[in-house]
Amino acid sequence: MAIVTKILFMAVTSIFINNFVLSRFLGLCPYLGVSKKIDSAFGMGMAVIFVMAIASAFTWLINQYILIPANMQYLQTIAFILTIAALVQFVEMFIQKTAPALYKSLGVYLPLITTNCAVLGVAVINIGEGLSFLASILNGFFGGVGFTVVLLMMAGIRERLEKAELPKSMQGMPIALIIAGCMALAFLGFSGLNLG
Amino acid sequence: MSAFKELTKGIFKENPTFVLVLGMCPTLAVTSSLKNAIGMGMASTFVLMFSNILISLLKDLIPSKIRIPAYIVVIASFVSIIDMAMAAYVPELHKNLGIFIPLIVVNCIILGRAEAFACKNNVFKSALDGIGMGLGFTLSLSVVSIIREILGAGQLLEIDIMPQAYEPMLAAILAPGAFITLGLLMALINIIKDKKKVEKE
Amino acid sequence: MMTILLPAMLLGGLAAIFGIILAYASKKFHVEVDPKIDEIISVLPSANCGGCAFPGCAGYADAIVQSGAAVNMCGPGGEEVAKRIAAIMGVSLTPKERDIAVIHCQSGGYNNTFFKYEYKGIDNCRSAATIAGGPNMCVWGCVFQYDCVKACQFDALHIDAQGMKIVNEDNCTGCGACVKACPRSLIELVPISKKVHILCSSRDKGPIAKKSCGNNTACIACGLCVKNCPTQAITITNNLAIIDYSKCINCGICATVCPTKAIEDRMLPRKKAFIHDDLCIGCTICAKKCPVEAISGELKQPHIVDQEKCVGCEVCVKACPKNAIEMVDINIPKKIAEA
Repeated sequence: MAIVTKILFMAVTSIFINNFVLSRFLGLCPYLGVSKKIDSAFGMGMAVIFVMAIASAFTWLINQYILIPANMQYLQTIAFILTIAALVQFVEMFIQKTAPALYKSLGVYLPLITTNCAVLGVAVINIGEGLSFLASILNGFFGGVGFTVVLLMMAGIRERLEKAELPKSMQGMPIALIIAGCMALAFLGFSGLNLG
Repeated sequence: MSAFKELTKGIFKENPTFVLVLGMCPTLAVTSSLKNAIGMGMASTFVLMFSNILISLLKDLIPSKIRIPAYIVVIASFVSIIDMAMAAYVPELHKNLGIFIPLIVVNCIILGRAEAFACKNNVFKSALDGIGMGLGFTLSLSVVSIIREILGAGQLLEIDIMPQAYEPMLAAILAPGAFITLGLLMALINIIKDKKKVEKE
Repeated sequence: MMTILLPAMLLGGLAAIFGIILAYASKKFHVEVDPKIDEIISVLPSANCGGCAFPGCAGYADAIVQSGAAVNMCGPGGEEVAKRIAAIMGVSLTPKERDIAVIHCQSGGYNNTFFKYEYKGIDNCRSAATIAGGPNMCVWGCVFQYDCVKACQFDALHIDAQGMKIVNEDNCTGCGACVKACPRSLIELVPISKKVHILCSSRDKGPIAKKSCGNNTACIACGLCVKNCPTQAITITNNLAIIDYSKCINCGICATVCPTKAIEDRMLPRKKAFIHDDLCIGCTICAKKCPVEAISGELKQPHIVDQEKCVGCEVCVKACPKNAIEMVDINIPKKIAEA
């Protein structure tokens, strides 16, 4: 029972309290760029969850079994980004071969995710907070879920926004940022919530 | 384009934050104080300039298919250098900027300029482009952080400049303030751009 | 020395391992992607705008190679890209011609519409059309909330001073976004070479249609166009005349006989055909093709066009193997004299 509670707490922490987009400011470029339609937002979100979880796993392993024994933690940045780039490339090829339908729906977004700050960010955060292997993967997974939740909300709002009459200077980026600010304000309500 | 133009285009005409809309993550994260903003800007300029130079030097040697991973490795190397340098010489700034220093690697500005400019132009021009873009980025970071710091903490560079009676607007320093300030600034820039367009016509 | 060599070797080793895994994976997971798809992707502008109605540039390339989509559907790419795709696919460019949007309604402006009521609501055509049959008296016509203009990604639809929608033919890529946006299906994609259009969509009986149209240009299904069309391209279904563009030869006769001016002739003012004596070889092809029998002449003798009968459809110009026919503006007498 304790394990399930722990996982639940982790989920709430990663999705709401320390939301990757609205609290940690990671993954903003796709958040502002891909959030115009709900279907593309959903596809992007799924791809991000997938990559963040797997990237967390692999970077943790590389850190634990290669960088630490060799005493070269300063190579963390380079090693991690190399791992993530190779991983995304591999996953793309794998999906293209084994699940072409899946590839058609989220394949376009996979190369974009390599430079997504959220992926490298979660890898570095996992090491920085000294999480265990399992905790890292969960952190990555739930971080991705948090990203998707916020992305879908933004996409829903922006689809409605198409019908609104905005002053010309506000159209596009400015109003998207202000909406993000209001959402951040809402999510601020979760801060200070301490779940073990 | 003349050398001077290459240098200055990054500051206004092709400002990375307001015109090209790249590098949003650091812009929103580190602008809670002017010191952090300038620090991040300078670090990014360093990486941008040197990676542009190196990529421009190597542009004929890197095969096209693996150019993106190659650029990323070059950029990551310079980021590691500046990371360690900052940890040694300005530890407080290093602590304040936190994970956003390694995240300079995935700053879209740097990869974007490498892809769009450095791989097609000579070393001198690439260096100027890097410096120009970096300065433009620093400038926009500074503008946002000045607004946020004055409103949110009543300070500038940690010197109190607002009157005693001023109650700092906490939201400005926190996440919402970042988004809303940037959004309003972009709207302002759009208005200025439109006015200039109308004047031209 | 070791402090430099060791990390370099470590990273180099890591990169080498990744490289080998990726190389192996690219062989093992190799999907038989037609190389043409990659070639086409590299030619396309990579804007992923969706204007071609496929999911991104990769989707369009896929559709061209595997489903035989037309090669000239890329708006941003334009002619240049279409030519290159045609070269890759080994097809000639001419088969499918560019389509542009034609709006089959002449109402929809501030001064040429009869209102049932003043509409104040969500400025969305679909909403306006569902409220009491739309603000327009004519229940088939435009409800002018300009959904089509908003849907256009290529800046091809504009609203002029009278509130009428103007299609910019140069910018229109035939992507079909406006067609989908219109709740009354008033917009049709028509090949750009077809210049005669029936600008009415009213299926009401003649008198009702005429009364409802604010522009007074409703189709009353009188049938004059059907009778006069030399290629039988027009049919009347449900009180509305419809042109079959595959048969239409642009002669414009229907436009001249339509009593309510519901048919628009975009080739006005019509020029007249003139045959150059020195080039004509008397093959009689033009005489046979002329829909109004305006050309006469003996075999192997220079032919002549009866300017009175000629409607300026330009069919003969295209048909002449010697390019001996020229369209002249009859209002400039000097041109005929010196020609």
